[in-house]
Amino acid sequence: MSSDQDHLKETDTEARFEFKKEQKSSFQADKGLTEETIRVISEDKDEPEWMLQRRLRALKQYQKMPMPTDWPGQPDLSEVDVDEIVPYIRPDVETRGGVDDWTDLPDDIKDTFDKLGIPEAEKNALSGVGAQYESEVVYQNMQEQWEEKGVVFCNMDKAVQEHEDLVKEYFMTKCVPPSDNKFAALHGAIWSGGSFVYVPEDVTVEMPIQAYFRMNSEGMGQFEHTLIIAEEGSEVHYIEGCSAPKYSAFNLHSGGVEVFVGEDAHVQYSTVQNWSKNTYNLNTKRAIVEKNGRMEWISGSMGSKATMLYPASILKGRGASDNHITIAFAGEGQNIDTGAKVYHNAPNTKSTIESKSISKDGGRTNYRGLVHIANGATNSSTSVECDALMFDNESTSDTMPYMEINESTVDVAHEATVGKIGDEDVFYLQSRGLDDDDAKQMIVSGFIEPITEELPIEYAVELNRLVELEMEGSLG
Amino acid sequence: MSSKALPANLSEETVRTISDERDEPEWLLEARLDALESLESLDLPDVIQTPGRRWTNLEALDFEELVDPLNAADTTERVTAEGVEVLSFTEALDSHEEVVEEAFGSTIAPDTNYLTALSAALFTTGTLIYVPEDVDAEDVKIRAEMNSKSLFSHTLVVTEKSSSVTILEAIESGESDVEGERYFSNLVEIVAGENSYVQYGSLQNLDENTYTYSLKRGDAGVYSTINWIEGNLGSRLTRSDIETELNGDSSETKIVGAFFGHNDQHLDVNARVWHKAEHTTADLVTRGVLDDEARSVYEGVQDVGRDAWDTNSYQRENTLMLSDESEADASPKLIINNHDTEASHAATVGQVDKEDLFYMLSRSIPERTARNMLVEGFFVPVLDEIEVDEFREDLQELISARLD
Repeated sequence: MSSDQDHLKETDTEARFEFKKEQKSSFQADKGLTEETIRVISEDKDEPEWMLQRRLRALKQYQKMPMPTDWPGQPDLSEVDVDEIVPYIRPDVETRGGVDDWTDLPDDIKDTFDKLGIPEAEKNALSGVGAQYESEVVYQNMQEQWEEKGVVFCNMDKAVQEHEDLVKEYFMTKCVPPSDNKFAALHGAIWSGGSFVYVPEDVTVEMPIQAYFRMNSEGMGQFEHTLIIAEEGSEVHYIEGCSAPKYSAFNLHSGGVEVFVGEDAHVQYSTVQNWSKNTYNLNTKRAIVEKNGRMEWISGSMGSKATMLYPASILKGRGASDNHITIAFAGEGQNIDTGAKVYHNAPNTKSTIESKSISKDGGRTNYRGLVHIANGATNSSTSVECDALMFDNESTSDTMPYMEINESTVDVAHEATVGKIGDEDVFYLQSRGLDDDDAKQMIVSGFIEPITEELPIEYAVELNRLVELEMEGSLG
Repeated sequence: MSSKALPANLSEETVRTISDERDEPEWLLEARLDALESLESLDLPDVIQTPGRRWTNLEALDFEELVDPLNAADTTERVTAEGVEVLSFTEALDSHEEVVEEAFGSTIAPDTNYLTALSAALFTTGTLIYVPEDVDAEDVKIRAEMNSKSLFSHTLVVTEKSSSVTILEAIESGESDVEGERYFSNLVEIVAGENSYVQYGSLQNLDENTYTYSLKRGDAGVYSTINWIEGNLGSRLTRSDIETELNGDSSETKIVGAFFGHNDQHLDVNARVWHKAEHTTADLVTRGVLDDEARSVYEGVQDVGRDAWDTNSYQRENTLMLSDESEADASPKLIINNHDTEASHAATVGQVDKEDLFYMLSRSIPERTARNMLVEGFFVPVLDEIEVDEFREDLQELISARLD
């Protein structure tokens, strides 16, 4: 490991996530969800009329749709009462849309991100960084060289003002309409913050862009929206990290992510999710991929009480491809229900899905995936591989793939395995002088390696450390 | 899904008439009437639903139109083997009432779903296969012809300690003047005693005006083995569920299925196993071929319970598509609650292997013949499992006939 990662060693990872700040804000919406709340949020953000109308339409849809309760083996959502959460908290920051210098932030917020190691990472490995605290982005900066090439990386609220035409065209219209599911509708009504990324034709953003999402207050909901538009021939890697301290009341995170991958473009979207274990993480993430475009979803789900997340790729253009790599780690009291969805809607499209899950101390993991090959998507191929590792008899691991094949000239393969950690593997390592815990940790690190090697080294190290902490059962 | 209303031609009177005609004991009449009563609160069997796609549409079945309870007719030939009782359901009630009473509804509760309750209320035919302790019986055969608008059959297999039996059940449409759509329901319950062995092979080749519902479930005792082999070639729509509960320690099951759909046939075939005891093993193998506009739906479930220590569970499903118009949906599921498990599943969908085809063409075999040989070869892993020779030959013949 190079000295670049020293800052990750200095602070104890556990302490870095598990601290709370006093709740300070300049504006806080009332609990619950009414038309009034939405008008107030929209007004506080000074939004154009069309956005307010979209929010109100989404609210109507939200009110009409039933809560998902009948999926086999799904997490229990009965505790999720939207009327009990605070949907919008504007932190106490002078500059709307965030500052571009960490030192301009109030001390408590700056201290939060310092502890999370964000400013350090920015210096070392990233093209741009955005940081969201509660409902608003408080910091946003990108290296000049990318700005000069026309790359836009700004917070979503600012984009509504400054890139209105693009946002109006792409925001929850073609990719994730609010009618998609109940939480997409909720998101459409009260979204706040998030990132807007625009990469012009043929521009390759060489280092990743990162956004970090932090919920500090008890009983709040975070609903950030991420919209990425990658034009023809462009390339970008977007990373998001999430965390929150643990409270007794539940928190709700319901983000929306829309990615437009242009012809021959390549977008990688990586997530390291470490929400506190009182958080319900119910997201909708989807990409539309044009001709010969390539979409990659990399995600590590470590935190949250319950996660329901199935990043989707719609392979719309001939030769488009998708790659999903997911890892889920469920410890005590956690239910991680995650997977992938791919729609092959054009000829010569390709997808590969690789899922790894680990359940321990009564945790539940579920891989739920859908691969749909439409009539006419000739010469398409898909391969799905799910592996699950179980540590004890209190834990559960389910695998529920769905394949819908409407075309004959295809190559479809699905494989899954479930098992306990190999006694022989542990024995071998012990015979080499490792103790039982270290041996198991090493096996787990090897098990998730296909994922970690896809991430920049900072994140790989981070993910490994989170896994180690989970293994010790010491994460809060 | 909401439950369905009772068909107008179905009343307590109908059920009493069926039971009276067969001179049935009071407990069976009661069971039938309870089933009839439960109909209103029951749903059709679960069907997989994804956004925008319902895999099988059972709601479209109009039972008032399909079911003609008082005119059921079948011709069933039963071939027994030494030491084993193979009796029609009514005969069995006379000579083995206790066995029947104990087994009936013990693995498939009549109120499992709307269709099982409908069967319990209306069944008129079926067989009891009773294998006493230590008897090894080979090649029991049941050949049934369906000669009416609707037919409900209920079969029981009971094997006592350390016995074994191989069974072939074949069902086809007889020559009759019934017009329009028809409905066939086939329930099979197996109760496998300690250290017993059952192979139950079933071949369904009904005409393509028939809608078929078949639920076969086995209860495997300690050290017992239940092996299912299922061939589905007939019917307009087939919904077939083959299930084993591994309730006894060290019990085993194999569920082997073959289907071949053509025209606009819809085949919804499912294999499920529940590991509920220690040291149990399951192997699920399904191979299917689709031609024309045929559509298949497959769900495989391997459910490992909390107490199922030392489980081995495997599942494979392969579908071959011969036509561009065919469609295949598949969902192999693993539900694992005990970590002391080795479980895997694999599923593939594709066409006849191009290299294989090329190799055969290079040996100057005409393309059509080559493809047909490859399709026949595709079914070999299923055919190899069949122990009743007659069954294997029948299935092979039906496959080749469909390929011509």
